[in-house]
Amino acid sequence: MIAVTGIGWVNLKEYGCIIGKYKKSHNGFDSLHSCFMDESIFLYPVKSIKRFDIISRTTCYSVALALKDAGISYSHDHKKNIGILGANEEGCLESNINYYKDYIDCGRIKARGNLFIYTLPSTPLAEAAIHFGLSGPLLHMSFKEKRISFLLNFAGKSIIEEEVSATVAVKAEKSNAVSFVLEKKEDLLNTRDLALENVIAAAEKTSFDEMIEALEEFCEDKADLS
Amino acid sequence: MAKAVATVCDMVTSYGCGADLCWKGLFSGITAIRPIERFSTQNMQTSNAATIPGLKINKDETLVMQMLNPLLSKISADIPHDTFVILATTNGEIEFLQRYVYGEENSAKESLPDCLLEKIMLIAGTYGKGMVVSSACASSSIAASMAASMVRNKDHDCVLVVGCDCVSEFVTAGFSSLMALDADKAKPFDKNRQGLSLGEAAGYVLIMSEERAFIEKRTVIGEIAGWGMTNDSNHITGPSRDGSGLYRAILKALKSAGVSGKKIGAISAHGTGTVYNDSMEIKAIKKVFCERALPVYSVKGGIGHTLGAAGLLEIIISFRTLDKQVTPPTVNLCNIDEEAFGWVSPYPQPFESSFTLSTNSGFGGVNSALILKR
Repeated sequence: MIAVTGIGWVNLKEYGCIIGKYKKSHNGFDSLHSCFMDESIFLYPVKSIKRFDIISRTTCYSVALALKDAGISYSHDHKKNIGILGANEEGCLESNINYYKDYIDCGRIKARGNLFIYTLPSTPLAEAAIHFGLSGPLLHMSFKEKRISFLLNFAGKSIIEEEVSATVAVKAEKSNAVSFVLEKKEDLLNTRDLALENVIAAAEKTSFDEMIEALEEFCEDKADLS
Repeated sequence: MAKAVATVCDMVTSYGCGADLCWKGLFSGITAIRPIERFSTQNMQTSNAATIPGLKINKDETLVMQMLNPLLSKISADIPHDTFVILATTNGEIEFLQRYVYGEENSAKESLPDCLLEKIMLIAGTYGKGMVVSSACASSSIAASMAASMVRNKDHDCVLVVGCDCVSEFVTAGFSSLMALDADKAKPFDKNRQGLSLGEAAGYVLIMSEERAFIEKRTVIGEIAGWGMTNDSNHITGPSRDGSGLYRAILKALKSAGVSGKKIGAISAHGTGTVYNDSMEIKAIKKVFCERALPVYSVKGGIGHTLGAAGLLEIIISFRTLDKQVTPPTVNLCNIDEEAFGWVSPYPQPFESSFTLSTNSGFGGVNSALILKR
């Protein structure tokens, strides 16, 4: 069966891990890299993070928290057969505009490669894959109905089909992001692990804050029952 | 497990409209990479791309819709209403965004591939279930893998995969800034290759379960027998130098198809014409197939690198190679790189097998491998 073993999230004011019941305030995304280094959420510095577009940053922050929540250590040098799938509202629209506006404003002389590389919706996932050493399938999906259940269901199926040990499903926007670590398990005897279908039900909320609240409540209820 | 078979497919490339023209064009050995006429290339690394003659920027219809409309309208009656649609593209209708930046549009949102998906579903006459897949230059081969996976796992028994991308100032300026383009024309696997040539194209493949294809008396073109996807997790624009990521993808694909490497008769390589891509591909291929030199070819010297459409066109051409038991020549190949010697050829290469391999790689280190069966 497919279990959710870690959920990490970040918004403009706070970040946290759902299963580990961990939540902290922060002073803005610019401060998060050093903050994550201090707390060993990043095990080593994210190379070139200053170059990243905003969605690449929120992606990296939420994936780091999800892996920490799942208790998965990572290393760029020792890659793991873990996939990374993503979805979001508007792909890389803002980065597309930034890149092309810069090119036009500069008189069409030379485009900036450092802006062009973020004109693919899959680039934030690739930045995370490079940092965390995730070498499984990587793709960005956009569903007609913008529901997180499609992403999570798809991530679950990819584990069975691709025989990856785990998949990280990411929904990253410029003001918030949430990542889920999905793993194949024989059973759910480990009380920390959550059944995928229960997580999908809890995550199916219209706003980001409501979704985080529902996931936190679901984890509380599960702890009470066990 | 249900078998995923291709029943209808077609494409439009810089050789013209239809897979037949592309096949003939590749066999002519003459490239369809030509001077770009639709925007100034004064400050770019090259003035060439594989553009489609007659395709012009106009406000009524975007370039990709000019490709897709005639292509899909022709077969809409053959597409069942319950078909799930997967669109693979890197930029879709990028003109909307360009016009927004020029101050000619109020919003850039119509450039989102989701809007293009809606239009495709309208032309195809499907009920409205679909998704967009983006995985850089491996987008459409990954979309085909997903379609085959959906059919194999009985989530859907009919999936239409559409791939498309156009040559735009947006993309050409970007690749130019990365110094990834050949100043002249792409020469995949050539000793003197300098980079890729951009191209534009659109294509589609209707993938069904073998059972449904039989019930509906559809002609089966071939089977998507196996697939594998990996990521190098190494560099944002360059591939892993040793080809280890692609090597793992090929092994996964062989395992997924349940065949050994010995069964593979020919290989459609990504073969962009960049120094690092072609080298890493040959390394990966040699590692899988050892020194059993197989016919390897790239279509990108003929039709350029069509980005989000590339993998899908290469599947269609691969089915044709399986049918004819011969690979097309690698166009623009003059001096074969030492590493690729004995594998690639500027001439057609005959083979005898029911299986071929098709590979794609892209930015972010994505790799895709597909095993196709006749």
